[in-house]
Amino acid sequence: MNLAIDVIQALMLIAIAPLVRGVIARIKARIQNRRGASVLRPYADLLKLFRKQDLVPDTASGLFRLAPVILFAVTATAAVFVPVLHASALFGVGGDFILLVYLLAFGRFFLMLGAMDGGSSFGGMGASREALVSALAEAPLLLALTSVAILTHTISLSGIVLATVQQYPLHLSAVYVFALGAMVLVAIAETGRIPVDNPATHLELTMLHEAMVLEYSGPSLALIEWASAVKLTLILALLVGVFAPWGMATGASIVGLVLASGAFALKFAVSAIAIAVIESSIAKLRMYLVPDFLGMASALAILAVAFTALMR
Amino acid sequence: MIQTTFNSFLVALLIIPAVLLLCRRSRGTRALPPLLLLLALLAGTVVAGFSFWRGDRLALDLSWATPFPFALTVDRLSAFFLLLICAVGVPVTLFSTSYVERHYSGPKADWMWALLPLFLLSMALVVTASTAFAFLFGWELMTLFSAGLIVIDGASERRRHNIFIYLVMMHAGAAAVIASFLLFVPHANSLDFISMRAAVASMPMGLRTAIFLLSFVGFGTKAGIVPFHLWLPKAHPIAPSPVSALMSAVMLKTAIYGFVRFTFDFLGGGPTWWGYVVLLAGAVTGLLGILYALTEHDLKRLLAYSSVENIGIIYLGLGAALVFMANNAPVWATVALVAALLHALNHSLFKSLLFLGAGAIADATHTLDIELLGGLLRRMRVTGTVFLIGCCSIIGLPLFNGFVGEWMLFRSFIEGAELPGISSAIILPLMAGVLALIGGIAAACFAKLYGVAFLGRARSIEAEHATEVTTSMQAAMALLAAACVAIGIVPGVVLNPLMVLARELMHSPALPEATLPISHALPLIAACVGVVIIAVAGIRRIKRVTPTWACGLPALDSRMQYSSAAFSKPLRKVFSKVYEADRTVEVAYAQEPYFPKSIVYRSVRTTSFEKSLYRPAVDAIVGMASRLRRLQTGNMQVYLLYIFLALITLLVFMRFA
Repeated sequence: MNLAIDVIQALMLIAIAPLVRGVIARIKARIQNRRGASVLRPYADLLKLFRKQDLVPDTASGLFRLAPVILFAVTATAAVFVPVLHASALFGVGGDFILLVYLLAFGRFFLMLGAMDGGSSFGGMGASREALVSALAEAPLLLALTSVAILTHTISLSGIVLATVQQYPLHLSAVYVFALGAMVLVAIAETGRIPVDNPATHLELTMLHEAMVLEYSGPSLALIEWASAVKLTLILALLVGVFAPWGMATGASIVGLVLASGAFALKFAVSAIAIAVIESSIAKLRMYLVPDFLGMASALAILAVAFTALMR
Repeated sequence: MIQTTFNSFLVALLIIPAVLLLCRRSRGTRALPPLLLLLALLAGTVVAGFSFWRGDRLALDLSWATPFPFALTVDRLSAFFLLLICAVGVPVTLFSTSYVERHYSGPKADWMWALLPLFLLSMALVVTASTAFAFLFGWELMTLFSAGLIVIDGASERRRHNIFIYLVMMHAGAAAVIASFLLFVPHANSLDFISMRAAVASMPMGLRTAIFLLSFVGFGTKAGIVPFHLWLPKAHPIAPSPVSALMSAVMLKTAIYGFVRFTFDFLGGGPTWWGYVVLLAGAVTGLLGILYALTEHDLKRLLAYSSVENIGIIYLGLGAALVFMANNAPVWATVALVAALLHALNHSLFKSLLFLGAGAIADATHTLDIELLGGLLRRMRVTGTVFLIGCCSIIGLPLFNGFVGEWMLFRSFIEGAELPGISSAIILPLMAGVLALIGGIAAACFAKLYGVAFLGRARSIEAEHATEVTTSMQAAMALLAAACVAIGIVPGVVLNPLMVLARELMHSPALPEATLPISHALPLIAACVGVVIIAVAGIRRIKRVTPTWACGLPALDSRMQYSSAAFSKPLRKVFSKVYEADRTVEVAYAQEPYFPKSIVYRSVRTTSFEKSLYRPAVDAIVGMASRLRRLQTGNMQVYLLYIFLALITLLVFMRFA
C-alpha cells in the first residue's frame, strides 16, 4: 500500500506539473485584466511539440539530443524523492536532500552543455548566466535544508516532513523563518521566475532559461519544458512539505489520502497565487543584481544554521 | 606469496631502466620496458588490493644494506595509497605506450621510460616507508624524478624558471617535513614509525603542536594548499601529459598520506583548533582553487587549479575529522576521514582521466588553448565521451564517483551540529555551504571547459581536422572512466574497507550506520534514471538537420560562439575582488576620439599571493644573500683569515663548552 502511494504521488507530481504552470499563467492573466488561456494549455503545447520534427543544428553532436533526455530522467527521478500525499517517498529514506539538490544540478549541467552545443551565441549566453545563478543558488539551498535537517535530526526528506507534521502546528522557530526566506528566494532563482528570470520573455538581453533552449524544438523542447515544469512543481512540493506539511496522511487510509490530496491542492493553489502576484507586481532584476538577491538568500540561510546552534 | 609479489614489484620497477639500457639496441625488444612496467604495476595493484581489503601486513627490512634504518611496511593505510598509485599507474602507462611513441624518439623516449618507473617507485617508497630515512629518501627522489620528467619536454628559459620554482618550493616543504621528523628525536629511541608512535604519549602539548604545524606546512606545500599552491599551475602544465596525470592525480596524494600518517596515526588528533586550522585551509584552498580554475583557458592549467580545489575538499574532510576527534566523536570522525580518503581516491581517478584527455586533445589538435578547440565531441567520440564522464565526476554529480565522497563530507558537516561546543556546531554545518559553493562554481567551470572545447563548432583549423587518438590511449581513458562510474553507482566496494581503515586509525568501535543508506540508494537511483531514459528514448523523435538560426544573417561562424572568457565573465565579475587583473587598453585613433584604428587589450593576472606574499619574501632573501656576498671577496688572504678565525672560535668553544 505504502509503495503504491509512493509511486502514485511521484507519477502525480510529474503528471500535474504542466497544470501548475497553466494555473499560474491563468492567475497572472487575470491579475493583468486578461482572460488568459485555459489551464490545460501547457498540455496542448506539449502534445503539439511531441508531434513535430526535431530540428538539430548542423554543427551539433549527439549530446544535443541526449541532453533533454537526461534532463528529464534526472528531474523525474528527483520527483520520486519528495513526499507529497503522505510523509514518505519511494526514495524518501535513503534519498536525502543532498541527493535531491545534486540531481537537479545534474540536469542543469546537461542542459547547459546542450545549449552550448547549438553553436550560436545565445546558447552560450544562456548557459553562462545559468551557471552564475546556479553556482550561487546551490549553497543557500543546501544550507537552508541543512538547518531544517539539524532541527529534525535527520537528513532524509521523509524524516524531515514526518518530524514537522508531528510537531505542534504553531511551533515556530526562528530557524524556520530564516530557512523559509532563503528557500523562497532560491526557489524563485532555481525555477527561473521573476525577478531572476522571466519565463514569458524572448528578448535575448533578459533571458536565461529561454536563451538556453532557443535552438531546441519539437520533442526535445517538449521534454525540456516538461522537465522544467516538473522542477517547478517539485520545488513547490518541497517548500510545502518542509514548511507546511499539515494535512498530509500519516497512515495509509483512503480518507486520509483524499484529505491529503485536498490539502495539497489547496496549498498549491495558494502558492500559485503567491507566485502570480509576485510576478505581476515586481519587475525583473538586472542581471548583475541577481548575485545580491542570492547573497540575501545566503545570508538568511547562514542565519538559519547559526540559530540552530544558538537556540538549542 | 603476497610478500614475494610485493618484493618483485619493487625490484621490477627498479630494474626497468637497466632493462631499457640492454634493450635499446635491438628493435624487437623495445616494447619490453613498457610491458614490464605494466606487469609490475598490475602486480602492485593486486598486492595493494589484497592488503587493503584483507588487512594483510607486509614488511621488508633493508637496513643491512643502508647506512640508516631503511624499512618498508604495508599496513591498511599504506596499502590504500599504494593501491591508488598502482591503479592509476596502469592506465597512465598504457596511455604512455602510444603517447611516447607518437611524441618522442631516441634518447627522449628512453629517458621517459627510465624515469617513469623510478618516479612510480619513489612514490611507492613514500607511502610504504616505515622509517624516517626511507620516507625522506623516497620524498626527495619523488621531487627529483618528477622534475627530470618535466625537463624531457625541453628546458627553455620559461620552463626552467617554472621548474626552479617547483624545486625551491618542494625543498622548502621538505625542510619542514624533515624538521617535523627531527622533533620526535628527544622522545623516540629511533626514527622508525613504531617508536615514533609510542613516543607521542610522553610529549608535551607544545611539541605536539610544533610537529602538527610543521607537518601541516611541509605536506601542505606538496599538496598545494593555498598559499603554497603556487608551484602547481606552473609545474603541472609543462610536464608531458601522462606525467601531469601522475603528478596531479597521485603525487599530491602522497602529501595527504604524510599528513594523515602524522596527524592521525602518530599524534592521534589534537585540540579543536587544529581542526579549525585545517578546515580554514581547506575552505580557502577549495574556493580560490576553483575560482582561479574558472578563468583559465589553458586546459592543463585549468586542471592544475582544479587539483588545488580538490585538495581543498580533501582538507575539509581532514579538518572535520580532527574537530570530531577533539570533541570525542570518533564515529563521525571516521565518516569525515573516510570522506577525505575516498575523495583522494576519486580525485586520482578522474583527474588522471582528465589529464590523459588533455594529452589526447593535444595529440589530436596540437593545442591546449580551449579558445582554439571546439566541436571535438563530433570528431573524437570516445575521448569526448570519457572526458564528459570525467567532468561529471569532478563536479560531483550523483552516479559518478566524485559525488560519494562529497556526500559523506556533507553528511559529517551536518552532524557537526550535534557537537557540544557552540563554535563547532556553527562552523561545521556552515562548511556544507562552502562545499556547495565550491561545487556550484566547479559545475560552471567544467560546463565552460566541456562546452567550449568539445561542443559547438570548431574554433580553429586544427580542431576542425582533429581525429580520434590511438586505441591504447582510448582504452586507458576508458578504464579510468569505467572506474569512475563503478564507484559512483556501487560505492560499497571501496567504502567498506575504507571504513575499516578509518576505524582502525580512530580506534572507533562503532560503525557509523547513518552513512549506509547512500550505498543502497545509488544503485536504485541509477536504475530509476535508466528506466526513465529507456522510456523517454521510446518517444518518436524525427530528426532533421538544419543550420543554426543566425538572426537573418547569412551564416554563423565560430567567432560568434560564446568564448571561454565570455562564459566565465559573470562569475568573474561577482568575485572580482579575488582576481585583481591588471588591465591595459591602448586605443590608437585615426581622429581622436572617434574611428579607432586599433585597440590593444591586455589583461595580466598575477594572484595577490605572488604580489603581496612571495615577492616580498623573495626580495628579502635575495637582499640578504647579496649582503652576505660581501664576505666573498675572492681574495685568498681573506679566506685564510676566515679559516683561521673559525679555528680559533672552535678551539675557544671546545675549551669552555
